[in-house]
Amino acid sequence: MNEHIPPTKLGFGILWPAFWTGLPIKLALAVLFLAFGIVEFENRIALAFLMLLASPVTVFALPTITMGLDSHIGEGAGIPLLFMLAVPIDMWALRVVGRTFFLERLRREPPRWLGLTLWWKCALVGAIFIPILWVIEGAITQGGIAAVHSIFASDRLKGIPVAERISTELTLWGTVSAAVLLLLLIVGFSLVGRIIRGTVESAGHAPENYQGLITRWDLMRVPADQGLMLTVLSGVAVLLSVLFWSTLPVFTPHPHDCCKKPEVETAAPFKPLETLNKDEKMLAHLAAQVEMLVEQRAKNERQKEQSKEKGKAGKERVGGEEVSEALEATESAPTAAADP
Amino acid sequence: MQPQLKSRVHCADREVGEVSKIIMDPLSHEVSHLVVSMNGTGERQVPMGAVQMVAEGLIQLQSSSSEVQGFPLFKRDDYVTLHEVEIPGLERHLHVTPGEVLVPFPELERNVKRRTFFANLTYVVGLFIGLPLVFPVLKFLMKPMYAPLDNGWLKIGNIEKVKTDDVGVQFEYKRKVKEAYLPEAEIEKNVWLVRATPPVLEKVYQGKDMEFRDAAGKTIWTNKKDLPYLAFSGKCPHLGCAYKWRKHKVLGQVFLCPCHLSIYDASGQVLDGPAPRPLDLLPIQVSPNGDVRIIDMEFKAGTKSQTRIV
Amino acid sequence: MNHSPSARTEPTVAEKVFTFVDERVGLKLLAAKMLNEAVPGGSRWAYVFGSILLFIFIMQSITGVLLMFYYVPTADHAYASTQYILHDVDYGWFLLSYHFWGSSAMVVCVFAHMSQVFLWGAYKKPRELIWLVGLVLFGLVMAFGFTGYLLPWDQRAYWATTVGVEIVDKMPLLGDFIARFLKGGPTPGQMTLSRFFVIHVMVLPAALIALAGLHLFLFRCAGPAGPFRGTPTELKAKTDYFFPRQIWKDVVGMAVVFACTSALAFWEPVVLLEEATPDPGDYHPEPEWYFLFIFQHLRLRMFSGEFGQFLGSMAFPGALGIMLLLLPFFDRNPERNIFRRPFALIGWVVLTVSILLFTVSAIINREFLD
Repeated sequence: MNEHIPPTKLGFGILWPAFWTGLPIKLALAVLFLAFGIVEFENRIALAFLMLLASPVTVFALPTITMGLDSHIGEGAGIPLLFMLAVPIDMWALRVVGRTFFLERLRREPPRWLGLTLWWKCALVGAIFIPILWVIEGAITQGGIAAVHSIFASDRLKGIPVAERISTELTLWGTVSAAVLLLLLIVGFSLVGRIIRGTVESAGHAPENYQGLITRWDLMRVPADQGLMLTVLSGVAVLLSVLFWSTLPVFTPHPHDCCKKPEVETAAPFKPLETLNKDEKMLAHLAAQVEMLVEQRAKNERQKEQSKEKGKAGKERVGGEEVSEALEATESAPTAAADP
Repeated sequence: MQPQLKSRVHCADREVGEVSKIIMDPLSHEVSHLVVSMNGTGERQVPMGAVQMVAEGLIQLQSSSSEVQGFPLFKRDDYVTLHEVEIPGLERHLHVTPGEVLVPFPELERNVKRRTFFANLTYVVGLFIGLPLVFPVLKFLMKPMYAPLDNGWLKIGNIEKVKTDDVGVQFEYKRKVKEAYLPEAEIEKNVWLVRATPPVLEKVYQGKDMEFRDAAGKTIWTNKKDLPYLAFSGKCPHLGCAYKWRKHKVLGQVFLCPCHLSIYDASGQVLDGPAPRPLDLLPIQVSPNGDVRIIDMEFKAGTKSQTRIV
Repeated sequence: MNHSPSARTEPTVAEKVFTFVDERVGLKLLAAKMLNEAVPGGSRWAYVFGSILLFIFIMQSITGVLLMFYYVPTADHAYASTQYILHDVDYGWFLLSYHFWGSSAMVVCVFAHMSQVFLWGAYKKPRELIWLVGLVLFGLVMAFGFTGYLLPWDQRAYWATTVGVEIVDKMPLLGDFIARFLKGGPTPGQMTLSRFFVIHVMVLPAALIALAGLHLFLFRCAGPAGPFRGTPTELKAKTDYFFPRQIWKDVVGMAVVFACTSALAFWEPVVLLEEATPDPGDYHPEPEWYFLFIFQHLRLRMFSGEFGQFLGSMAFPGALGIMLLLLPFFDRNPERNIFRRPFALIGWVVLTVSILLFTVSAIINREFLD
């Protein structure tokens, strides 16, 4: 019936339901990753929400924005993982929504691979348009805030009390920013609509009457193997719950100063067998050393006797002292090693 | 099979009419009578005992057409429809295609005067139960709401702490309170003292001594206008926050309340902000050795007039 | 039912039990009546907010009862018991944070639900009574938020409540009585905590259950309004039953709300300030976020002074409330398409944007308070 649907309506009609269709799944994954601790969102929740969960248009735009334009939505390996997982989710969502839209609104036969086609087209538009939107909107907002501040800093308006000033400033720059954003969004939807139009026009007409079309897209949602799908979903629910339970911190991750849990110092583990073995080895080693020194001493004594025959008494006494010192040193070492 | 409405009714010899209504017994949940519309000559009430056979669209009676005239005429007032009465489970046993299904109207309930009398009697008995409760319940809930006021003098410190004229000095003190069943507790309170110069005193007293009266109207204390010390209650008269003595960019040294930015000068007069009245003064006594005593009073916040509440 | 059941196979135990109950209660008929309600134009995602509100209320009741296992409503122990829940009870922090964010979710969904009903014109004849009861329910939800906020007894709780009750005091004639009733005396203390606790866990839940039941009953009497545009063919083609279609959408909505609330409980778990003291000190009292727009109103110069405060806090919101109450009676135009009701659309947009603006202004104003 709608032969010439305007591109904006087309784009919006596809993206809006697709967003909400994919959202519950992505949200469940996001909560899971939070529990795992692999995602840390910076305190700009709305921003993170939009960026992460508004894909497919943001899936290629986000890296551009974070790297090129120096904005940051959070840290952790979970964020790229969420984006990667969002890709198949979005393809599926776009397929379901696309087929419904084709049948009900356009009364055309949905082509094959509709999900994939819609996905790459949206991602392409998003990759180019979202960073542009980001820059423009950011500039307008910052410019607006600065302009409004300077208006109110002027002498005439200095006397206006704080509360009134805040509300008026906010209204002024807020209206401008919101209007620009709305305009840009409409342009964005229109672009998506235009790029999709090719797919629309190449699709054939659906033969059924209105009730038939409704029945068709309605029944499309009933899976062929109900038992399998329900079992799989139940299994996923159980798995997610178990994962959630095992990773949820037992005590609050943000304790108040009054009640911080003390740092538990783990005592060095006492392992008796190991200690004994180590000590045995050390004793053996030192015993070997003592043997060596005893040999050394015996050798020295022999040398002493030889030099004694040469008749040097003073040297001998000094040598004897050295040897006895060395002997004392080696005697004290084993005793020190014997004390654990 | 249950009889159907609009079935033709046949006697032994000929057809006499059609079923216009069904009457059910409210206790046994079974059809007790049929109301047969006698081909334009009125409606007669036929018990199910007289029915020989029930078929699709046809009721066969045992009696002859002359005997049928002996059945009583149908009195509509003796019956009520299922919409006017609640009989549990009746509809589940009803396989008659819905139309007018009637149940007997109890004889006792047909007397309107009786019905209204008992209805009104119910309300009166309800009054016997409800009305006595109203007063105790109200007083029960209101118990802590209007507590008597305490006019005791409290020592809060020594006047030597106030060194400069026209400057706010905070005195913190503890007050013993006993609330309801709780053990006696000490709460920390504060007042602001100002040693006022004559122009400031003039702004405050405007030539008259300040009298403090109790609930009955009797004067409990008078602040003399020549005593240079002013004691301001530590609660801002706007909404009860504790205010501070601060230096303001434009207005100089002032009392400033952080909650809603009410600003007062050293005499307690409002310079800016939403405060509805100047700072509240308390009865103050300074003994010869410098001990300062006040009566700890609190006033309702947010009103133009000053009403004491503690 | 006129034919006797021909049991080709022996009925299972479950079927026997079901038949046993059905004979006595009429279960099949009851289930059919309750579940097979036709939704003209088909079930819609826009209609889920009512059921979501019911879900949130149930979750709040469950988490609330669990919290009551450890919470003690006395001025001596309220703070300590709340800290105990947060720090020492296993997953206590999560349950309390869920309860806290659940209350915010409730306010958001109540606003969404009211907006949906307003925009779809579902307050018009014959649905006026549902709208009226709904407005009272809205008041109850706000009262829940107000009374619950005091219970942790930290600085934020105590001072937000003090300021709020003092505002009630501004009402002429009855203001002093009502304020003293709520406070349990001339000043806030133990009596206040006891009263707020009773109101929060007994009085309001009982009232909510009763009125929500009435709301649902009236809704069933009138039937769903359905979409505001569409030819009869289109509406008929898409009509389905409440069960399972609308219920399925409701459940997905509930799951999303559950996920959002859990996520918020993670991101921003409840952290108390210091225990309440009679002096706010450096702390700037502030009510919960859904009251911020009224709070910011009161800062405007035009509402200064005693009567001004009454105007800004009670009279204007009260007038708005009365306007909403009377809405179905002075808007008798049967047109339900929002795009053909310019006053309604503009009015809704203006109201929503104003509330948003004032809420954000209140947040910005925090920086100017020192």
